[in-house]
Amino acid sequence: MPSTTTPHLATHPAAEMYAREYKAGQLSRREFLVRSTALGLSAAAAYSLIGLKPAIAQRATPAMGGRLRIQQGVLALKDPRTYDWSEHGNVTRGLIEYLVEYNRDGSFSGMLLEGWEANEDATQYTLRVRPGVTWNNGDAFTAEDVAANFTAWCDTTVEGNSMAARMGGLVDADSGQARDGGIVVVDDLTVQINLPTPDITLVPGMADYPAAIMHRDLIGTNPLDHGVGTGAYRMVDYQVGISARMERNPDHTYWGEAYLDEITFIDLGTDPAAWFAAAEAGEFDMTYQTVGEFVDLFSAVGWERSDVTTGATVCVRPNQLNAPYDNVEVRRAILEAVDLSVVLELGMNGQGTVGENHHVCPIHPEYAELPAQVVDKAAALARLQAAGHGDANFTLVSLDDGLTRFTCDAVAAQMRDAGMTVTREVLPGSTFWNDWLNFPFSATEWNHRELGVQILNLAYRSGVAWNETAFSNAEFDQLLDEANGIQDADARREVMARLQQIMQEDAVTIVPYWRSLFRHYRPGVVNADMHPKFEINVHHLGLSA
Amino acid sequence: MEPLTWSGDLGTFLNPLMGFAVALFVAGFVANFALVLAGQRPGEMVVNADHTLSLQRTPVDFALMAMKYAVLVLVLGVVGYIIGGMVLADPTRSGILGAMAARLTPVWLSLVALFAVSITFKRRLGLYGKLFDSPIGMVGFGLVMFWIFTAAFSGMVATHGPITVISQMRNQLPGSPLPNPTEGQYGWYLLGADNLGRDVFSRVIYGAFEVLKIAPLATVFAFMVGITLGLPAGYYGGRLDTVITFLANLVLAFPVILLFYLLVTPEIVAAGIPNYLSMVLFIFPIIFFVVLFNSRFRTDPPRRNLLVGATVILGGVAYLSLISNPSDPNLPWLFRLWPEMLDLFDIPGNLLIVFVSVVFVNSPTVFRIVRGIVLDIKTRDYVAAGQTRGEGPWYIMLWEILPNARGPLIVDFCLRIGYTTILLGTLGFFGLGVSPESPDWGSTINEGRRLLTVYPHPALPPALALMSLVLGLNLLADGLREESLKD
Amino acid sequence: MALFILRRVGVMALTALCLTFVVFFLTNLAPNLEKLAKTQGNARMSDAEVISWLDRNGYGGPLVVRYGEWLGVVPGWLREDPINGEWRGRCITRGQNPEGAPRYCGLLQGDLGYSTVSAAEVSSIIGGRLQLTGILMFWAFAVMVPSALLVGVLAGMREGSRTDRTLSTLSIATTATPEYVSGVIFIVLLASSQVGLSPLLVEWGWLEGGTLFFGSARSAMDNVTFWNFTLPVMTIALYGMGYIARMTRASMAEVMTAQYIRTARLKGVSFRNIVLKHALRNALIAPFTVIMLQFPWLLTGVVIVETLFNYNGFGWTLVQAASNNDIELLLACSIVAVLVVLVTQLISDIGYVFLNPRIRIS
Repeated sequence: MPSTTTPHLATHPAAEMYAREYKAGQLSRREFLVRSTALGLSAAAAYSLIGLKPAIAQRATPAMGGRLRIQQGVLALKDPRTYDWSEHGNVTRGLIEYLVEYNRDGSFSGMLLEGWEANEDATQYTLRVRPGVTWNNGDAFTAEDVAANFTAWCDTTVEGNSMAARMGGLVDADSGQARDGGIVVVDDLTVQINLPTPDITLVPGMADYPAAIMHRDLIGTNPLDHGVGTGAYRMVDYQVGISARMERNPDHTYWGEAYLDEITFIDLGTDPAAWFAAAEAGEFDMTYQTVGEFVDLFSAVGWERSDVTTGATVCVRPNQLNAPYDNVEVRRAILEAVDLSVVLELGMNGQGTVGENHHVCPIHPEYAELPAQVVDKAAALARLQAAGHGDANFTLVSLDDGLTRFTCDAVAAQMRDAGMTVTREVLPGSTFWNDWLNFPFSATEWNHRELGVQILNLAYRSGVAWNETAFSNAEFDQLLDEANGIQDADARREVMARLQQIMQEDAVTIVPYWRSLFRHYRPGVVNADMHPKFEINVHHLGLSA
Repeated sequence: MEPLTWSGDLGTFLNPLMGFAVALFVAGFVANFALVLAGQRPGEMVVNADHTLSLQRTPVDFALMAMKYAVLVLVLGVVGYIIGGMVLADPTRSGILGAMAARLTPVWLSLVALFAVSITFKRRLGLYGKLFDSPIGMVGFGLVMFWIFTAAFSGMVATHGPITVISQMRNQLPGSPLPNPTEGQYGWYLLGADNLGRDVFSRVIYGAFEVLKIAPLATVFAFMVGITLGLPAGYYGGRLDTVITFLANLVLAFPVILLFYLLVTPEIVAAGIPNYLSMVLFIFPIIFFVVLFNSRFRTDPPRRNLLVGATVILGGVAYLSLISNPSDPNLPWLFRLWPEMLDLFDIPGNLLIVFVSVVFVNSPTVFRIVRGIVLDIKTRDYVAAGQTRGEGPWYIMLWEILPNARGPLIVDFCLRIGYTTILLGTLGFFGLGVSPESPDWGSTINEGRRLLTVYPHPALPPALALMSLVLGLNLLADGLREESLKD
Repeated sequence: MALFILRRVGVMALTALCLTFVVFFLTNLAPNLEKLAKTQGNARMSDAEVISWLDRNGYGGPLVVRYGEWLGVVPGWLREDPINGEWRGRCITRGQNPEGAPRYCGLLQGDLGYSTVSAAEVSSIIGGRLQLTGILMFWAFAVMVPSALLVGVLAGMREGSRTDRTLSTLSIATTATPEYVSGVIFIVLLASSQVGLSPLLVEWGWLEGGTLFFGSARSAMDNVTFWNFTLPVMTIALYGMGYIARMTRASMAEVMTAQYIRTARLKGVSFRNIVLKHALRNALIAPFTVIMLQFPWLLTGVVIVETLFNYNGFGWTLVQAASNNDIELLLACSIVAVLVVLVTQLISDIGYVFLNPRIRIS
């Protein structure tokens, strides 16, 4: 551990190396922030390393008090480890908080942790618990709470616990529990995490929405049942599908600053037209997300727009276990027929950047630029006929919502233009999600991840749980392993170039675009900017003074 | 190319004329209203001392006259647009309205021919002919036939395909030209484009075909089921009546929307429920025709055997082809027995379930109506006469009672097609059943609803189309009712 | 009379029983249960896991037995978890000792069950939603019935007159305009800041930004105002209005040709007095039945309008329950819906008897 007096200026050899790379132009600022803050630097320290003033530290200070109404789905709550939507995290974020917060600019800052340091090869993390934090039942928040939560996150026997996947090497593969000696309580305010292999994704994992910290005795429960948390607010009313209302907890001394007196989440269903109608009727002050044409509409009625570029996309993918998609020529023909810029225009209203049929986004640090994709409709049909599937009828299944549905309609139209026969089928969410991995040809919405390798590990490695394409390629897996062990983005990029190429050559999936995400709020709402992972951090929100 | 205006060159002349007509109508209406309030009455016929009649015109009469002529001018204006559009042929000159009228040329010609023939021979055409004595009935019939002809000629009328996408056109306003039209392609989107760049006008036209493909046929089936059950229930009464009436009331007590939500889901289709339901419902038309021919030609065995045999064989093959789909391995074994080579056609599960559900909810109402009429008619003398002649009960039901019940049944038939159209639209509105890119009006309204407040042009045309078709059917039913009561 | 009502109530109970069984059957078909298991448990369950999940959560038994449990005539299911020895059951909360719990807990015991999607007792959900729909229905009827009767009487008092023709055609037009069409048109005309009336009003300075009426009735759940409730109420009222008006017109026209009216006219009673004092009361008997029968018919309209205007009442709940296969909530919804249909039928029958002295039930 570097010996510095002020923890906030603590630095790290690797971080200094990144700073040099940034200054040499080898690293984007975003990537520099992601990587250096993940190693334990505060955002301010990271900025100072590269000689910039921290943008994030200049969050406006709103006035105290006030009420805010947020349009967002209100889902049935459950054990936070098993949360499966960002909305779950948002609605309880005022009650149960997180160790670390992922900021809009890509940096991480401490919440219930005051700071953290990683050793040089990122196998040991020292987490420093924020002193003076109490639970709203009066107990003190200590290292025991942190350790208990880590242990619980590593429990793979809990149905639907998605934190186990984020903990990576900390989970012992045999017992399905936390590795012995992996989580060490050093003292009341220090926890040490020991990993068998380098892992740069641990801190991003702690900032994700299922990583809400529960009281050590109440792990595995629904926070709504007892209302114990460290946050400034308490839930007053919770009606699934209708609304959730929380107010400042008068019996609790909050460790930080929270501005609003009352926050209401209003569920207006999934139809953006209904959101807009409700906005015009003055029924809420801030959207969860604004999509498609409604981005311009909300702006037109005078709402403030906030946007963020992300690696979120919609993959229109064939599943290779199903004929005729097991034939690589068929898949290539489909990809060759689809003009991605048209799909961006029709499916996303042009709000984003054109994709390249591989799942690494230009804003990812390790992204490698490849030659542009060629669209040739005549060649596509010829290829399909040569493969003996000229008369195949492709059924493209999608969810009945705006984004994926329009994207698929656009893809279908492109394929028809090339002379292929396409049938479209849309299913309601309750039916679609039960089977999303197995449809022969369908589309799935993928959210932004901090690093390019994260998503490849999650969705394209042979046999992993979310591998919806049934893509299985030994070379790909091996290269991916290699990439996971390379900390340096430039070195990793060389391997990534090959990985991206394999995805294109094997025509794994259509990745039509990278979405820009938008959020709108009424003028006067402060700190409500769009977050790349849809987070709404209620403790920052407020109304302007 | 320039975007089209609504009225083009025709507008310079016709718009002021029609504007004047509207103003005149409004003025007449206000004047009439004010005069009546002020105690004025229309003029009455006065018998003069020299036994001549004279009509005293009061201001009210003039106001009414103004309204009458205003309507006439308005109609002339519309006809002007239609003829102007057909004559000018060039959309840049005839405007959107004229261009649409020109595209609809086959429909106008058919309508004119139909009306000319019908009015000429109306005295020989029974109830249908009498329809042309009632202005309301004529308007209704005109509207309905307009959409039927549009559906029939949809391939000729539509300017583009129902799912042809031109991405640059998305959300373009009515009259927008295509960015770079190829040879032979119609150069404009007459009613603009929806949010996927599809032509709204063409989708409305093809939507007419989608709607008219299901609604009348489903209503026919509902009537066959209702009649086949309603006749014996009303005629025999007793326990049979009690049981069927209870079942009918059971279905009627089911809120329609709940029933649809329960029936029209992918899970229910996967469980084979639509096939079981269609197995029950589609047997009724066969029973109906078998009984019909059997009772009529009982005394003429060769002819009877021929007709009944033909019905059983043709109907049976159609029936078995309809309910079974041997190529679908997910269906229960019962529906896969029928050999593949004899399987004439397969109806996709989601279409079948929509069809079956619509028949299912409509037939109990038809049953109740038929039963009510039979209860009334069976006390008539001619039925008693038939009974004493020794006619079989089914002969009496089908050949004595049913023809005499046709008036109310025809009226209800028209109303019910309208109701079914609304029902299908409701299904489309909730995104149930119909295929996602289907241009049927309910689905198009639902899709257009998303961007309604900024781009009303994709949602309004199908909404108005649906309204006008249902209105036409209602007016037609009203006209028929009025004329049939005059007997 | 008592016997008549008793018999009707008996038939009603039988109908409700059959209908709930149908709903129960359809919601408990194998694919629907699989969907339930996957949404409640985990979307990636294998077939064997689905079966064990269903079994553990009480969906394993035969259909009829489970229907009996729901009805409250068969004891609720009870299973001991083989791993941790915890008892789970229909009638007990998790971990509770089965001894203290009631054996039966179904409809007959007043227990409507548990909504899987909302994670709450059905009885706690359905009450509030019904109240909201009640408010909507009240206003819809308050607008629809008087205006429909007025139109019907005006049209029917001089059959064949110009007023009659105009009003009749208008009534037909409203019945030809389903809620999803009129709702859409209303929103375009009155509740859009981009098109229709509102931008004009803003331009003329009569309105300060925003829209004239609101296209969303969510705020009406807390506080009904003229601006947020007009459009949903009008949308429902318009469709139902035409039908009642036509029935009233027919009834009025029939009454106007009756002998006693002719007598009154010959006696020189003024037309106004004939209509108000003699014809009106008798003409309103038939519409009464029609109005009562409108209740169930309006249900579809309520579902459409509540979805269109985002008003979380009963119709909205029904759609949510049906699309998420929330079995017990859906069953509760269908009971309510069926009761509404049957009770209004009963009231209309009884009311008809009371209002019309010519009919006697022995």
